[in-house]
Parts: sequence; C-alpha cells; structure tokens
Amino acid sequence: MSADAILEVADAVKDFDGLRAVDGASFHVERGSITALIGPNGAGKTTMFDLLSGFARLNTGTIRFAGRSIGGMAPHRIARLGLVRTFQLTRVLAGMSVMDNMLLAAPSQPGEHLPSLILGPRRARAAEARSRADAQALLETFGLRDKARDYAGALSGGQRKLLEIARALMTQPSLVLLDEPMAGVNPTLGRAILDHIAALREQRGTTFLFVEHDMDVVMSRADRVIVMAQGRVISAGTPAQVRADPAVVEAYLGSASPETTA
Amino acid sequence: MSIDFWINVGVLAGIYGIFTLGLQLNAGFTGLLNFGQAGFMAIGAYTVGILVVDRGWSLWLALPAGIVLAVLAGLFVGIASLRLRSDHFAIATIAFAEIVRYTLQNAAFSGGNQGVLGFDAEWRAVSDWMLPWLATIGLGAYTQLPLFIVVWLAFVALLLMMKGLQATPWGRVLRGIREDEDATAALGKDVFAYKLQSLALAAALAAVAGFFVALNVTYLYPTVFDPTFTFFGYALLVLGGFASYGGVALGSVLFWTLLEGTRLIETSLSAGQQASLRFIIVGVFLLLISRLRPQGLLGNVNEMRVRP
Repeated sequence: MSADAILEVADAVKDFDGLRAVDGASFHVERGSITALIGPNGAGKTTMFDLLSGFARLNTGTIRFAGRSIGGMAPHRIARLGLVRTFQLTRVLAGMSVMDNMLLAAPSQPGEHLPSLILGPRRARAAEARSRADAQALLETFGLRDKARDYAGALSGGQRKLLEIARALMTQPSLVLLDEPMAGVNPTLGRAILDHIAALREQRGTTFLFVEHDMDVVMSRADRVIVMAQGRVISAGTPAQVRADPAVVEAYLGSASPETTA
Repeated sequence: MSIDFWINVGVLAGIYGIFTLGLQLNAGFTGLLNFGQAGFMAIGAYTVGILVVDRGWSLWLALPAGIVLAVLAGLFVGIASLRLRSDHFAIATIAFAEIVRYTLQNAAFSGGNQGVLGFDAEWRAVSDWMLPWLATIGLGAYTQLPLFIVVWLAFVALLLMMKGLQATPWGRVLRGIREDEDATAALGKDVFAYKLQSLALAAALAAVAGFFVALNVTYLYPTVFDPTFTFFGYALLVLGGFASYGGVALGSVLFWTLLEGTRLIETSLSAGQQASLRFIIVGVFLLLISRLRPQGLLGNVNEMRVRP
C-alpha cells in the first residue's frame, strides 16, 4: 500500500441475494489524486461506491479512510469524516431552493441542532451567513448563481448534476466520489466540471474518485486508473499502464457493452 | 343559540388546528406519515385527567406531565418503527394509536368505558373569572367563549413557533429528509435522529390538543380518541395545503365550518340521513380541492412530495 493513501480497500466482498457484486476487491486511492474507477457494466463500480459511502454493508473485507476503518459505518458518519458522494441518478432536493440545497450541505451548522439553536441563535445566524457566502461562491463557480432562488426541481438535467457536485463540495470534503459526473451533461458543461475538479485539487488538495465510461476523459484527466471487472480489481496504475495491460484489454473485449469500448 | 354554536365550532377548529400542526410537521415538512396522532393525544389527555383526579395534581402541572409522557411515547414509537418504509411506518403508528385506545377502554386505571370525570375544576375557576370580564364588553352570555379564547391564543402561539422553527437550519434538514433521505444522509445528516425529533414534537402538540379536548368535552372516554380524529386532521391538511402552517389554520376553520355548518341546512331528511349528507358534502368538497388545487388552498405545489 502506498504510504500516502487516503482510501484503502482490502478484500472487499459484497453479496446481493446470492449474487456476488464485489468479489474480493482491493485498491487504494492516493491523497490529492484524481482517480478514475472504470470497468464494464456489472463490474461492481456503483456497489463499490455504495460500500465506500456506507449505503451498503461489506460482507467481509476492510475499508480504511484517512486511517480509520469505515466499513459498516452509517452514511452520515462517513460524510462527516470528509468522504462524500454523488449519485449516478442525480438526487437534488427538488422541493427546496438551489440555495437551500447548498446550505443543507454546510458542515457543523449549530442551528441544525435544537439545543444549540435555542441556546445560541446568534451563533447559528453567524454560521448561516458564512455558509451563505461559501455557497454563493460555489454556485458562481458552477454557473448556478442566477438560479440560487429557484427550486432545484426546476433545473435542467445538466444543472442538477452541477448542483449535486457543488453541494458535495459544500461539505468541505477531503475525498469526493463522483458516480458518472459527465452522464447526461453536454460536452462543454462536462469539460467545465472537469476543469473545476482539477482546480479544486490544486487549490484545496481535494481527492477525487470518479466512475466514468468516456475513455477519452479518463485517459486525459485521471492521474491513476483503477479497473474493475466481475467484482474484482484487475488493474491499477497510470492511464498509460492500464491501457497497456493485457488483462484490461481482455476484460473490455470480453464484454459486449459498446459504450465501454469507446 | 347560533353564536354559541359557532363559538363551539371555533373551539373545535382551534383544537384540531393544534393537533394538525403536528401532522404538518411530520407529513408536510418531514415526509413522515404519522397516523397515530390520536394516540399521542389520548396519552396527553388521559395523563392530565388521571393525575388530577386520582393523584390530586394541579391541572396546570398535569399539562406539562401529559406533554412529557406523549413525547416519551413518540420516542418509543419512533425508535420501534421509524426504520420501516414510510407506508409501513404509517401502519405501525395507527396500530400504536389503536393499542392506546383499547388499553384505555379496558384498563382499570383509565376508568374503562366510563372514562375519567372531574378534572376541570381549576379550568372552570379561570373560565368563571374571565366571564364577568367578558360581560363588561357585552360578551358575558357565551359560556364557551373563554375556552375559545384560550384555545386560539395557544393555537396562534404554537403556529408562530412552528413557523419560526421551520425557517431555521433545523427545519431545513427536515425538508431535506422529506425530499430525499438518502441524499440528506449523504450530506452528513443523522436522518433517524431528525425523524425522531419531528415525531416527538408532533406528539407534544397532540398532547396540548388533548388537554383542550379534555377541557372541551369535560370528561374523557376512549371513543373520543378513535382514529377518525387523525383522519379529520389529514382531511383538513389536504384542504389547507401541505408544507404550510397557515394552511393548517385555514384548513381547520374551513373544514369545521363545512362539517358543522351543514347541520343548519333545513331538509326533510331524517337526522341520520342528514348526518350522512354532511359528510358527503365535505367529501365532495375535498375531492374538488384535490382535483382543482392538489396542493391545497395555501399549499406549495413545489414542496409536495407527490407532484401532480
């Protein structure tokens, strides 16, 4: 294992009703990297994201995030440690304004807890003002500033994707899991998302792990690539190394999915 | 006669308003289908009645005790069943309310079907003190007016409190859970703890409503607290609108005006037929509302979980 791994997964196994979705996967993600998780359909990528974020529970194996074991931890606890995810099908809170979506994600808001809300309303208001400024800056970055007052349900598909990513970043995470951030987004917007991700890695040292099917994007934007097939990690390394790995070529040629061979 | 009649309608509207503030918090702002509200109300009301009659407590001390017990019941029901899916949770809560009602009907401590009587002396003292004061402005003849005033003062105060609470970051987390609990958990919020708080607070509001029911009917018997009470609450929620506390007030006034006002229609029907007709009229009105304005009169269509 690398000395500077923010995330280490060892021998992860996950069964769903007799189907083994993740079958002894092991890999690590380096701190401050932009890492892609790729693989044919059914390779176990989304299940892996569910395991990492606490939405599914490991059968066996371990997951360590920033030195702590997080296997079996509840999703909200994992998120508070700084590991946040987005979903493959965007999940904006449609009946809330774009700004409220962002403010909800603010970490350690004392006004969210009844005792501190009642005992220290001024502190809650101060925290709210700070969060609002942070949210405005992020919305500006993601081109959603004009939409702040709109209901999130009124946004287009691409804008929802942007909001979901911006909202994840609002939690001030150290590791962000993005499940197909480019899916359903027009290429221009997609490039903008990737530029933001690269910039955030530079400025804040945020680590990103993303699932993506577009190989051009993976090869040009990721520092490292992890390849899963049939629930296992079959290869990991730089884009060039992975591309040259015979096991990867075989896994992709063996799968009939055209989108993954692009 | 007619003014007394409408004062009574106003008392009912106020009590149901307080009761339904809790349903609005649960269903309208947290996405929780609580169908056990009548059970929490019964616990609040009976705690007051039994503590005063059997234990000699002051009515004014028994009220907070009733609220505390209803909150504990809310926590108990929540811990036991909040992990169920929303419709299963609804069934569990209605089962809870029925357990409460049947227990009260059959247990010795609650007086069985005879119920509990004679706990409202301290309230009547207050009422008798208010009436001469009301007489000075020409309203001394209406014996239920003091209860009307106190119920509506409480209702308005609680409504403003709930409205204020909903505007805080705490209320925002509840709305996040209503929209998508997984996405809210993924942002670091302890969804279970918030649902529990929402349910406990609704139970507290039910207990306050139960206190006023007790003062209004002057004696407690189990059938007062049958599930119909909860369903009337939901009916006026549909009428007034989801995700709006103002809608609760409007819905309650409208619902009771319709239901009781239709008593005054002169028909050649028998009393039983006319009673049924009243519910048919209210039912048709509810159907019209849900067809023409699905979000309810003051509801927010964007904040309805099931959008038309």
